[in-house]
Amino acid sequence: MSTAVHLDEITKRFPGVVANDDVDLTVERGTVHALLGENGAGKTTLMNILYGLYEPTEGTVYVDGEPRDFDSPADAIDAGIGMIHQHFMLVDPMTVAENIVLGNEPRKWFGTTVDRERARQEVIDLSNRYGFDVNPDDAIEDVSVGVQQRVEILKALYRGADILILDEPTAVLTPQEVEELFRVFEELTAQGKTIIFISHKLGEAMHAADDITVLRNGKNVGTVKADETSNEELAELMVGREVLLEPKAEPQEPGDEVVAVRNLSAEDNRGIPAVSDVSFDIREGEVFGVAGVDGNGQSQLVEAITGLRTPTEGSISYKGRDITDASRRSRIADGMAYIPEDRHERGLVMDFDLVQNGILGSQHSQTFAADGRIHWSDARDHAERIIDEYDVRPPHADADAESFSGGNQQKFIVGRELEREPDLVVATHPTRGVDIGAMEFIHERLLDLRAEGKAVLLVSSKLDEVQGLSDCLGVMHDGELMDIVDPRNTTEEEIGLLMAGERPDADATDAEPPVGDAK
Amino acid sequence: MSAAENAKAVLRRLTAASATERILISFAALVLAVLVGAVIILVSGRITTCQTAATTLFGTGFCYDPVEVYLVLFNGALGEPFLLNDPALFNPNWNPLNFGFALTLKETTLLVFTGLSVAVSFRAGLFNIGTQGQLVLGGLATALFSLFVAPVLPSGLVGGLVLIPLAVIVGALVGGLYGAIPGALKAYADANEVITTIMLNFIAAQIAFVLVSEFFSNPDSQVVETTPLPDWATLLPVAFPQGGDFSILALAFGLALVVGVWFLLEQTSFGYDLRTSGEQPEAAEYGGVDAKRTTVTSMFLSGALGGMGGAIWVLMVMGKWQAGVPSLGFDGITVSILAGNNPLGVVPAALLFGTLKSGSLAVQFGTGVPKQLVGVLRGLIILFVAMPEFFRMLGSAIDLEPDRETVAADGGALGGDDE
Repeated sequence: MSTAVHLDEITKRFPGVVANDDVDLTVERGTVHALLGENGAGKTTLMNILYGLYEPTEGTVYVDGEPRDFDSPADAIDAGIGMIHQHFMLVDPMTVAENIVLGNEPRKWFGTTVDRERARQEVIDLSNRYGFDVNPDDAIEDVSVGVQQRVEILKALYRGADILILDEPTAVLTPQEVEELFRVFEELTAQGKTIIFISHKLGEAMHAADDITVLRNGKNVGTVKADETSNEELAELMVGREVLLEPKAEPQEPGDEVVAVRNLSAEDNRGIPAVSDVSFDIREGEVFGVAGVDGNGQSQLVEAITGLRTPTEGSISYKGRDITDASRRSRIADGMAYIPEDRHERGLVMDFDLVQNGILGSQHSQTFAADGRIHWSDARDHAERIIDEYDVRPPHADADAESFSGGNQQKFIVGRELEREPDLVVATHPTRGVDIGAMEFIHERLLDLRAEGKAVLLVSSKLDEVQGLSDCLGVMHDGELMDIVDPRNTTEEEIGLLMAGERPDADATDAEPPVGDAK
Repeated sequence: MSAAENAKAVLRRLTAASATERILISFAALVLAVLVGAVIILVSGRITTCQTAATTLFGTGFCYDPVEVYLVLFNGALGEPFLLNDPALFNPNWNPLNFGFALTLKETTLLVFTGLSVAVSFRAGLFNIGTQGQLVLGGLATALFSLFVAPVLPSGLVGGLVLIPLAVIVGALVGGLYGAIPGALKAYADANEVITTIMLNFIAAQIAFVLVSEFFSNPDSQVVETTPLPDWATLLPVAFPQGGDFSILALAFGLALVVGVWFLLEQTSFGYDLRTSGEQPEAAEYGGVDAKRTTVTSMFLSGALGGMGGAIWVLMVMGKWQAGVPSLGFDGITVSILAGNNPLGVVPAALLFGTLKSGSLAVQFGTGVPKQLVGVLRGLIILFVAMPEFFRMLGSAIDLEPDRETVAADGGALGGDDE
């Protein structure tokens, strides 16, 4: 086995920040190497150096044992390095084959014309060689994200890449597509290619990589073999302390009913039914989890409960009163906190600073605005408190929301909503995009609220999250609540089947959707 | 970098500019506009014919002297504090309360109202192009109200103290209601406010014309206008003995409104709702803002400010309503853009406009430069100064992510990163 890439004592400084601090990295040929770390650990910067996008402040890049000094990605490509970014760079109306050969088209008639036939044939040969399932004649805009990613990989291979760098390749994929991608990794390494992929998900690194290098605060804190390590060890390397990976809600006796949803139906923005005949209750000190593949009506259900969408049928009662037609503002005033699914659209005003964002939803409350006048000094204290408690970085209350990374934006929203002293917390994907240290903290806060006797509605596409935190777990498929199960006595497989729309045998012939009553 | 990327980078840089930078950019633009204008003056001075050259550069005579034109422009706007051809420089007879300066302040005052009107709607994310129509009808309402109520009030100071504030309120109400129409159409029928406000401008002009020419016309006059208001019912140029249709009271009122609107936008819950709706409607909805109500209220407020502009135009400038209302409402759009839609910025922006307008008159009378050329110079300055702000608005409207080179250490997981 020979060394494909060796980064020697790489340091990269930006004005005011050290992104990479004396990092060594060695990647063996024919292996999959995962670069693991929390948001902001310097993973992408390091790979951008290898790809020639940045010049290192100090240190040397060796490819195939030779020191290299890349001025631009073009140099890196010549050295056999290809990088697949998080956001694909494909031309939508052009076909798969055209995209793959773009810039390196085979030519005919003395180089005057693109040889489409040969291009197509070369693409077919290439995808057959690596067992890729792509049709060269499909337009990019018609194929799934997973296929687009494979086209990006083929494009790099077509340009002669031996070393492939993938930046968070699974972020945009469905679980099935992730499996498919890892199968592609195996095929590629079997043929001698080297793969480096960036991730902040432990499970993926463990599953797909041969070696794992963990970066923390720009430093390499350890390289381990995937089959000689554990989730716990990796988490500790990433965060720098012991981490509770699996949240566990201790059983507790729930109190009075807080929310009762009855026969609720709602449509999506195009007027297509998205939620049909959903019923459930949430009681004090209870976490009601909603599991399901994204896009099965969870968003519309949550919007109907939080007052952003008018249901077509059914009713919602909250603290004993019917709020089906109550305004969003009155629901907020009545102690309903909501961590929205889309933080850029809804959760934050991107051009406002954190002081202003901290009172979004509370701009009419007595706490921050008596007699219609906003108390900005109180608002500032409030924002600074959230920043402090929820570890929002950098801790600048005056910076625009836009300037924060996704994980830090999420921490700020979670902080704002949970500090509302709510009676009901509606949390959709509360830990999306945050690193595991913050994830643990958010889980703890949700469980604290539960212990205080608050009601929590938790929607997440992470099964372990909803399963670990919930007292009751509703599974949605195609707008229907398939069943409400006890997450402690149900296996992942059973939930998976419900998510796929298959009812347990007993109900298989029952056309009537089960009216899920929690208890 | 490709041309498109370059353009995006420039837009991003503009969007991220700080307040100080924006003021500096405006000054630089002003200087640049003056330089470009100077070249145009020289060129046109070369292609006209004249008896004696006004200036000679590199042995070539030019009919117009750019330095003189600009000095006269700004000097005239202030009422000639400097003697341009005199070594003494300062004009010993200069009185700040002069006619030229009054003209400048008159335009400034009117534009403060219309600029505020546009700024309020733009901040709420509503492109109210209808300030002109709101001003026309507000002004008419003020004139008619004053004419009908004046006979029952005692004439003189007491009558004026009662009537003038009431007349302004009536103008504000009518302008506000006329602004609320496109607001309601937008909120409840999803009608684009740009289209409806533009159409309502024509409707306002025609309604006012028909009302005045058919029902309220002045029998002693050939033009379409109302009977003049009694002097005590108008805002007289108290402080400026040479006239110039400027009342310091109106300016003071305008400045008080500037502070009031700023306070409303920045310090109140309503202002927070309004700005949030303007920045990001989905987030406003999430934060419990009633989008429909905010739209109608913001448009009412914007219209009321435009209506007050009309009231001041009637009470301070004309003393009656007359067809052919100057395009103060449209100039308000430029003033607002120039001010970055910030109510406090409206004051210097309106002052620049006022200066250019009254200075143009001085250039026209004081030099041989034709008035069309003066118009070009004015347009150049406005174009240059307004463009950076306009592109800034464009930059934030098309939602470019500002340049974040300095935080690139964040693993690339910036803003847009999701699971």
